[in-house]
Amino acid sequence: MKKDLISIDDLKLKKIREFLDLAEKIEKLPDTDKKALLSGKVLAALFFEPSTRTRLSFEAAMLRLGGSVIGFSDTVTTSVSKGETLKDTIFTVENYADVIVVRHPREGAARVAAEISRVPIVNAGDGANQHPTQTLLDLFTIQKFFGKFENLKIAMVGDLKYSRTIHSLVQALVKFDKVEFHLVSPDTLRLPDHIKAQIEEKGNPLIETTDLSSAMSCCDVVYMTRIQRERFPDALEYEKVKDCFCINLEMTKTARTGMKILHPLPRVNEILPEVDSTPFAGYFEQVKNGLIMRQAILAHLLGAL
Amino acid sequence: MTDEKILFIPKIENGHVIDHIPAGLGSGILAIVGFHPELSGIPVTLGMNFKSRRLGTKDLMKLQIDELPPAFVRHLSLIAPGVTIKRIKKFKVERKIVAEPPEIINGLLKCPNPNCISNSERHLRTCFHCLEKKPMVFACNFCERHFAIEELEPILQVAAKPSLVVKA
Repeated sequence: MKKDLISIDDLKLKKIREFLDLAEKIEKLPDTDKKALLSGKVLAALFFEPSTRTRLSFEAAMLRLGGSVIGFSDTVTTSVSKGETLKDTIFTVENYADVIVVRHPREGAARVAAEISRVPIVNAGDGANQHPTQTLLDLFTIQKFFGKFENLKIAMVGDLKYSRTIHSLVQALVKFDKVEFHLVSPDTLRLPDHIKAQIEEKGNPLIETTDLSSAMSCCDVVYMTRIQRERFPDALEYEKVKDCFCINLEMTKTARTGMKILHPLPRVNEILPEVDSTPFAGYFEQVKNGLIMRQAILAHLLGAL
Repeated sequence: MTDEKILFIPKIENGHVIDHIPAGLGSGILAIVGFHPELSGIPVTLGMNFKSRRLGTKDLMKLQIDELPPAFVRHLSLIAPGVTIKRIKKFKVERKIVAEPPEIINGLLKCPNPNCISNSERHLRTCFHCLEKKPMVFACNFCERHFAIEELEPILQVAAKPSLVVKA
């Protein structure tokens, strides 16, 4: 049966652990073995909206596994600009590729693609809804740093209201036992109630605060997010909160030993460059893990692992 | 309020009353009455925009038929889940049931999220999964957002085409 990766909500804990194990396994493979995994396979990267690191990491992942890549990174030069439906695009591209990676501004686009496609579909972001490969790479990063999820204290900082990365990560972390959540955000960007309810339903400890320093002093992971200007209808409201959480070198002095700062990137002012060289910076390791996790996902969906 | 009801819609001796229809939805239900041949030719009365403590305003329908066809009831629960169906015998309410929403609703409700793919992709059938029945909450199969039943707008023009009526 065809496998897809559309939403973190579709994955049971066992499946998440399977992806984490596969990523670990693929990381240990020699380059020559990796190169043979997807030899002769073609990935179609259909990016209906701009993306840099997600698209490049999928393409790099496929190339490093011996496959090749076709696709587009904007819709201006494609039939989409002529009014072609997503359905017709998928019906066409499935003839050219063995796996299709879709990023689309409309929520649910990847689900539609998966329902009609004969080849596996990977959701690389659908509007403000889901970005499951980001979540899996975040989990992989946390596992690599701490070797476990149970009893970890994780601070989520910044735009908790609109960030799909945060929503998906929370939905994944509540599947593990005893993760303690520290939600650090301005009042206007708090985590939506229905996501918060998922934390409370599972009985995970939950602390809401606006004090980033205190969260840094007690948490194992501090997950920063960018306050997204494009989400604010009122520019003045954006100005009020845009730089409200910023980690500098001074703040890391009171951080818990072993604490790691993560960020899905791109960053603006949330983490100053002076923090990059400290042992707390985990975000570039996170980027590297993104490549490994996407290799694991592609190899798994194509039956090579 | 009771006086107004008596004034505009007389009591029926035997039959069924469909109550607590969200205002404006009555005409949609009238449309589906026409699809069920068992209901052909029976006296039907539709009242619109009555005051309602629960809904603010509501529509009300009376059908003078002893037994409602099960297919019609299932169809009704898709179009207007939550309405009350009262069976009337000798001017009295003999039995009262609430039309329960089905677990899955295909093609009959519109997703209120303007950025949902179901609102832009042509010919895509909407699909909602029931998450909670009290209060009724549905999740869109595509954008995964959760909505109270009141937020979901019926696609009445779909119901008006017999060929597109969902199998009840």
